[in-house]
Amino acid sequence: MNDKKLKDMWNKAETLMGASDYESPAIEQFISGRSNDTTQKIKNMIIFDLVLKALAVCALAVDFVFYFGTANIMAVTVAGVAILLPLIFMQYKLLNRFLEAADNGQTTRDKLASMLTYLKTKFFTTLLSVSGTYLFGFIAGSLVYFYTTYGYVRPLDGVDFVVFLTFILIGIVLNFVVNQGQVKYHIKHLETCLKDLNDKNLELVTENIELQRKSDRSNKILLALVLVLGILLLVIVFKNIGFIVK
Amino acid sequence: MKNQIANKTEFSELIEKHQAIIHKITLVYANGQTDREDLFQEICLQLWRSFPNFRNEAKFSTWMYRVALNTAISDIRKKKTDIHFEQLRDNDRMETEPSDEKEQVKLLYRAISKLNRIDKALILLWLEEKSYEEIASILGISKTNVGVKLVRIKQKLEEMIFKLQ
Repeated sequence: MNDKKLKDMWNKAETLMGASDYESPAIEQFISGRSNDTTQKIKNMIIFDLVLKALAVCALAVDFVFYFGTANIMAVTVAGVAILLPLIFMQYKLLNRFLEAADNGQTTRDKLASMLTYLKTKFFTTLLSVSGTYLFGFIAGSLVYFYTTYGYVRPLDGVDFVVFLTFILIGIVLNFVVNQGQVKYHIKHLETCLKDLNDKNLELVTENIELQRKSDRSNKILLALVLVLGILLLVIVFKNIGFIVK
Repeated sequence: MKNQIANKTEFSELIEKHQAIIHKITLVYANGQTDREDLFQEICLQLWRSFPNFRNEAKFSTWMYRVALNTAISDIRKKKTDIHFEQLRDNDRMETEPSDEKEQVKLLYRAISKLNRIDKALILLWLEEKSYEEIASILGISKTNVGVKLVRIKQKLEEMIFKLQ
């Protein structure tokens, strides 16, 4: 079969499939619609988390005013804000990185490689950062709740505390498992496409990923530390431990 | 071009003019009429979102192919990508085609649907009369690689069409 015959067959196909033409108003509706793309879901997750973190900062600021004069609670709110602000900045940087990686205007090779690199190096960091929001959101929200209900922070007993902590940890772990599962499938798809594009592509990208992973390790350690600090703050608040002189 | 297109209406009119490109891509990558419409919609949306990053360095159609193909290749919502040929509509225009030609076109599409997503993009661009240079600039591989791959894909297509006949 020669090239001309293939091209002739291709040109006939358009008529055969009977694709309907869309008018400009229909297309305008399409571009105003919502995307079902996986990358859009990741983008939404990061943006939603940024909003939640900002809300947590606001709630902590309100808590600071509510509990003005209670040194240990004030210190907890200040520490929470001090930890959340760099996290917001970091998450914002991650969002920009992700938007660059997800840009469809790149060549196919660059798009596949940058998405794979992001998912393999930065996605775990993103998830850690999202997990941090649960903790700080919980602390900020609970402080508001206790103030409006009791007017002070009701110390939790051992059982209450274990239950709260268990729920938070389950939330964090579930978030990890669900997202990791989705991303694993995405990663596999990207790897297959990159390999199909050129066998050497995947090797080069894998080398690049390993280099980035090493440089990104400090970020992960820092974020894990933030999570531990968050749990510590939680203990301080609800066990009413004064780490600053009352 | 970018400065001239200030709003959604103007952009939609531009897409309307170039929609044949998107239709061809959806024919190769989507499964059935509903999926084709979904993919068409997704591609339009991605084109609109990527437009602020469009630099006039490349031709508009080249950029459009790039965004549309990247969207189709990255689309992992559906696992099955085979085209359901039973679903082809026997419209009026088709009735006028000789039946052996109709069968051949179906065979070509059935063969293309069995290729992997990257090979589909390569053969589609070649069938659309794109130069090796343009194909290379859309996919981000070398011209030599384009040539080598196309020879292999054409052979594969020929074998598959022969087997399917």
